[in-house]
Amino acid sequence: MQRSPLWLRYAVIAWVFTLVGVPLIFLFDKAGAPGWSAIWSALHNSATDHAIGLTFRVALVAVPLNTIVGIGAALWIVRHPSRLSQLVDRIIDVPLAISPIIIGLMLELAYAHTGWLGRPLAALGIKIIFSFPGIVMACLFVSLPMVSRQLIPLLREIGNNQELTASSLGAGPIRIFMTITLRSIMWATAYGVSLTLARVLGEYGAVLIVSGNITGVTQTLTLDIGNNFDNYNAYQGFVGASVLATTSVVILLILGLARHRERKRHEHLARAPR
Amino acid sequence: MSISLEHLVKSYGNDTVIRDFSDVVPDGSLTALLGPSGSGKSTLLKMIAGLESLDGGRIVLHGRDVTNVPARHRNIGFCFQDYAPFYQLSVFENVAYGLRVRKMPKDQIAREVEEMLRLVRLDAFADRFPRQLSGGQRQRMALARALAIKPDVLLLDEPFAALDAQVGAELRLWVRSLQRELGITTILVTHNQSEAMEVADRVVIMNNGQIEQVGVPAEVYDRPSSDFVHSFLGPTTYLEGRPLRPHDVELVSVTDGQSGIITDVIRLGFEVRVVVTLADGSSVWAQLTHDDAQYRNPSIGESVGVRRRVVR
Amino acid sequence: MSFYSLIVLIPLAALVSSAFTNGWGAFWRAATQVEALDAYELTIGCAVLGALINAVSGLGIAWVLARDAFWGKAVLNALIDLPFALPTVVAGVTFYTLYGPHSPVHLTLTGTWVGITVAVVFVTLPFSVRSVQPVIETMSFTAEAAAATLGASNTRIFRTITLPTLLPAIVTGAGLAFARAMGEYGSVVFISNNLPFKTQVASSYIYSLSSAGDNIGAAAAAVMMMVIALVALTGISVASRRLAKGL
Repeated sequence: MQRSPLWLRYAVIAWVFTLVGVPLIFLFDKAGAPGWSAIWSALHNSATDHAIGLTFRVALVAVPLNTIVGIGAALWIVRHPSRLSQLVDRIIDVPLAISPIIIGLMLELAYAHTGWLGRPLAALGIKIIFSFPGIVMACLFVSLPMVSRQLIPLLREIGNNQELTASSLGAGPIRIFMTITLRSIMWATAYGVSLTLARVLGEYGAVLIVSGNITGVTQTLTLDIGNNFDNYNAYQGFVGASVLATTSVVILLILGLARHRERKRHEHLARAPR
Repeated sequence: MSISLEHLVKSYGNDTVIRDFSDVVPDGSLTALLGPSGSGKSTLLKMIAGLESLDGGRIVLHGRDVTNVPARHRNIGFCFQDYAPFYQLSVFENVAYGLRVRKMPKDQIAREVEEMLRLVRLDAFADRFPRQLSGGQRQRMALARALAIKPDVLLLDEPFAALDAQVGAELRLWVRSLQRELGITTILVTHNQSEAMEVADRVVIMNNGQIEQVGVPAEVYDRPSSDFVHSFLGPTTYLEGRPLRPHDVELVSVTDGQSGIITDVIRLGFEVRVVVTLADGSSVWAQLTHDDAQYRNPSIGESVGVRRRVVR
Repeated sequence: MSFYSLIVLIPLAALVSSAFTNGWGAFWRAATQVEALDAYELTIGCAVLGALINAVSGLGIAWVLARDAFWGKAVLNALIDLPFALPTVVAGVTFYTLYGPHSPVHLTLTGTWVGITVAVVFVTLPFSVRSVQPVIETMSFTAEAAAATLGASNTRIFRTITLPTLLPAIVTGAGLAFARAMGEYGSVVFISNNLPFKTQVASSYIYSLSSAGDNIGAAAAAVMMMVIALVALTGISVASRRLAKGL
């Protein structure tokens, strides 16, 4: 492969550094400059503390749920094509294109106690908007495509000969999934799960509407950051922001690892047998 | 374990891929399902295995109607063209897979797998992974994996298509002797007619989802029932609208046969092809052995007569 | 399937029906209020500009990433994904502080469309890069080599051979960037200062209606935005397919 011209390489490095690198460094500097004790007390502020706990609990529910549904949907779409599954294939990507505020609005209209489904559910005593389930739903909406988008092209490429062979050898569908399918999709799934986690932790606009932004009750960490900034508690907000920025960086590392491993798996197969 | 296939039908939407296919595969035989690409033979094989659904007909394995039995309960060994190795498992684990499903005790599994690996001469590779094996080795692993469960029937889908000519030729003969030794009823799908002729007890020739002819190799070659079978199984040339083998075309004097002019002589080493253009514009080619050609010495531009050789 | 309908389809239907609760007339009036129009104009303008900037810079970045090997390349590669993994509000508050009233780099972009565009460029960077990068990586260079033997200069080769091959991917990436930018909230609401009629983005406008209790008006504006986005994306995808076929 030819190299690109040197000026281009330097221009690219400068551009990315200025656009992405500088703000990141700036943020960590702002949060870290006053020292560890300042960070510590900021984190233990009751509102922020609660927000961290809430965000954690939301992730604990939303991420596994999304992963299971994502894997199931991908398998269904690729292995059992039908008019219905084609339809789902097309609507999977929809959440990516819709503004989070609009998503929050949609969910509120549907599930508030005056809404379509909200009314019957309220009668059953189930509250969705302005409480935990609503937040989980909003996070699921925005992260819905993450796992499926990775797996659908992969499953198409792999083909199902291995699974059919396992079937002929006597294995049932669950065993086939656990022993054969899962191993082939492992790293692509890890990639999708990491993206899901990133979206769930970082969702702002949709959760803003759906949760009602009630401090100490339904405020996730992202909302807490926004809240602090609006109330001129800038430093408090920075600390929260750098917590999320750190998790983002960790997620990036995992993404890089998953991408690398997936490429290796792919290369091994591409080597044609002699 | 004989296989009875009765009036099998399969369509994809408006496309009928298998039309009213019926055959009885005798116990212990090696039957080749031979036909051009798209004739439906791989689909048929998958239907027998239960990996594809039927739209009509019955499949009976040794008296047991398995038409509605799922693949995992049919006790059939299946080998795909790409060998479908379980890449994430070792060679040992690949072969052991079916035995683990059957919950065989560990030490018994170890014994059976080792025996299988010895049989296919992969015992030194037990701890390797499929990506470290060559094509021929992966093929043998796939066979060992299928045979380990002691299936009633063995189904092979174009098993030698992806291999080098040399490797394929050796493997072919080896599979043949293995099949004879184990006596397992086997169906082999291929588009390669010399492979089918070399290896099979009986040949089922398919075209467009239907059977063209069934018989032992010699029979279908010497007495083909249609032009299609004739041209599919061997080199074909036409004289007076009828197909015949080039080696059955005799070069005689102009008065003793159809008259024409030699327009090409191609020397291929042990055989020589002579192309003769007849008065009506059509061409026939005759195949001479090296020695015959030396004796006869055909040359371009020479006037000859051609006729069908009469067997005395 | 029921999962998807519960989460996606039913809320979507609820939104559309709410928008039209008071009929077409009310819908149209709400959707075309001056404040709304100003918001659409600002949002679309910044989104288009941001997408264009990223289309060009994304091409350059993808080019370097795909063809070069140098110390720190892995870091660069990872940084590209940061805007995608980073919560929007984190980007929002960081940009506000960095380019705001007490900016350490003496650049005050708050309350301007420039500031909004900077945030948009940040957030949509990954889309344009990641759409083009795989195409460059798997591109075969025989066509370019043939052009070189025929005497074409590097610039000409790039213009007439390389660029047309990459154009569909560039357009797709720009389309994704545009769609994302249109709906962006968390990263732009802080730096924009949210001044109605002047620097209020569409999503912020919808939010203000919703928190004031005017759900119907909010729904109308939301439906309007979605229609605009749908039309734009369809146009882009048609264009992209035409370009691909032309090759």
